Amino acid sequence: MIDTLATALMMSTPLLYGAISEMFTERSGVMNTSIEGAFLMGAFGGFVGAYISGSLLIGFIFAIISGVLLTFIYGIVTVKYKQHQVVTGTALNILALGLATFLFRVIFGIPVIPLKVTPLQTIAIPLLSKIPFVGPIFFDQNLLTYIMYFIVPASFYVLYKTSYGLIIRSTGENPEAVDVAGVDVNRVRITMLLIAGAFCGIAGAFYSLTILGLFTSSIIGGRGWIAFAICFLGNWRPYGVLFGALAFGLAEAIGIRFMVMEGMVIPNEFFIALPYILTIILTITRNSFNIPAKLGVPYNKE
Amino acid sequence: MINQIKTKFSDPDFKDLVVTNVVAIIAGILISGIMLLLIKINPIEAFSVATASVMSDKYTFAEILVKATPLIFTGLAFAFTYKANLFNIGAQGQFYIGTIVAVAISLSIGDVVPGFIGIIVVMALTIVAGAIYGGLIGLVKAKKGANEFLISMMSTYVAIAFMNFLLRTSLRETRGEYPQTDVIPESMRLPIIWGGTRLHLGFILAVLTAVTLWLILFKTPFGFRVRAVGNNASAAVQAGINSSKTTIITFAISGAMGALAGFLVVNGIQYMVIQGYYAEVGALGIGIAILANGNPIGVIFAALLFGGIQVIGIEMTMRAKTPTSFTYLMLGCVTLFVIISYYFRRVMKINRDKKKLVDGVSK
Repeated sequence: MIDTLATALMMSTPLLYGAISEMFTERSGVMNTSIEGAFLMGAFGGFVGAYISGSLLIGFIFAIISGVLLTFIYGIVTVKYKQHQVVTGTALNILALGLATFLFRVIFGIPVIPLKVTPLQTIAIPLLSKIPFVGPIFFDQNLLTYIMYFIVPASFYVLYKTSYGLIIRSTGENPEAVDVAGVDVNRVRITMLLIAGAFCGIAGAFYSLTILGLFTSSIIGGRGWIAFAICFLGNWRPYGVLFGALAFGLAEAIGIRFMVMEGMVIPNEFFIALPYILTIILTITRNSFNIPAKLGVPYNKE
Repeated sequence: MINQIKTKFSDPDFKDLVVTNVVAIIAGILISGIMLLLIKINPIEAFSVATASVMSDKYTFAEILVKATPLIFTGLAFAFTYKANLFNIGAQGQFYIGTIVAVAISLSIGDVVPGFIGIIVVMALTIVAGAIYGGLIGLVKAKKGANEFLISMMSTYVAIAFMNFLLRTSLRETRGEYPQTDVIPESMRLPIIWGGTRLHLGFILAVLTAVTLWLILFKTPFGFRVRAVGNNASAAVQAGINSSKTTIITFAISGAMGALAGFLVVNGIQYMVIQGYYAEVGALGIGIAILANGNPIGVIFAALLFGGIQVIGIEMTMRAKTPTSFTYLMLGCVTLFVIISYYFRRVMKINRDKKKLVDGVSK
């Protein structure tokens, strides 16, 4: 039970990084549909950096660079050239798959045994981790999960209590007004996409450097899209996103738990499909959405 | 016919479309070719070896059409909704639903019903299954205003889980070794239309379907409604078009296309379902539909291009030792450049219109 909840928290970490970044870009009026590719580039870049340098820190820096590169291309094509966001994202996701696998081969050749790095270890916080029940779940995690605890309140603060947060929100709701106020709409959107690239890079690298310690081309397997969905279901609000990420992390942890159990009445595939089914049900049943008014609409200066 | 083509090309918009697309495709292949230098493979040599082998061997040449067949259908699956400004990115899931239905029915009736009738039954049931699976997305979009992009994406993962479940349990091969099905009986296989190759009747079916969808879109009242909803949904509703009915039917047709791709793979090429095969057929279909700008006839050519790139990629792997991932690198680059070419086409059109305006004023 405690194990499962701790795993749930760990599994929800990359989803939250991805979904919060998606929330910021969508609040500024542009969807980051290259999110799945950005996760994959992060997983790839992170592994390469960590394997070659032997340092996880350098791995995560590489992951950030790889993710940002992808969202930068995405930003140029969708924001500057105003091409369709869904369509561009799909192309970049195919490209990321080809690029990551190809470059992996370029760098490492065909390894005889699978290459591995030592994954990011958990750090038990003294005293706090000794609290019964709560301690092992919340305070015996890895560094990135600890950072996650601060990301949600921090992004709440940035989005609602700072002037830049107001600019971000207005850019998604009423870009003309932002433009009149002398702020470059496209610059805000591209900035959000670049920050999203960094977050998605870290999220992707979480799979290769924290959960598995290796890289395969199927390592992300739709988790980027889950983060995309969480932003939607979280109603573009930080605490909604937190709730969504935790729910999906829990579903994933339960899936892992049941995979190792024999003689189950409910098939394991059901738990794998559960997050997706939940997304569908929640998308259908919710009516009042806080969807940014100009989401997906390129800004044309008249 | 030749005159028709001539008049088409005298239309500057169409000329731009062809020219920019060709430039984009060449640019995409060039850029990915340059990357081959990183693994010390001469791209020109690799390309020419592969092209020569495609041109000299009819089996390999026919593989282009074989690879294009399911891609035409997944391309159509995206293109048809795209024309109504709807996004069905769940072709991958509809494809898997199609493969499951096709293999299950083929295995169960294959020995009882004579082949020809059996294949028709399988095809009909695949269409029904795909239409339901896709139509449901249209239904929740129309009735609940749910985001079809998100739902179609999620429906793919549900379909994958469902397929994996069946491949582990009731549909698993009798040997019980791998997560794959038994091979369907020979009577249920689509006839080969070019001896000595794997090219089967499905390719003809794909081309005919694309032409039919084109006729539906551009020559029928229903197609007009689809495009009207796509151009301006609220204006279409004002004009008395039942937009929710159009949405549901559009999605049902789109889902049927995805499922048909599965039927053709099962009854035409693979004769079985293997866990996780054709994992990119849906995403490539989107790329193809974009390349064709959603035009069903254009989808045929775009699918042939993608099929060609895949076959060249395979030949390059066999003869020049390029990595298999190189194919996706080429496809990704080509699609990206085609999207960027949309921008330049627009700039060219604006400049031309400006020039026309200036000429008009100075006269």
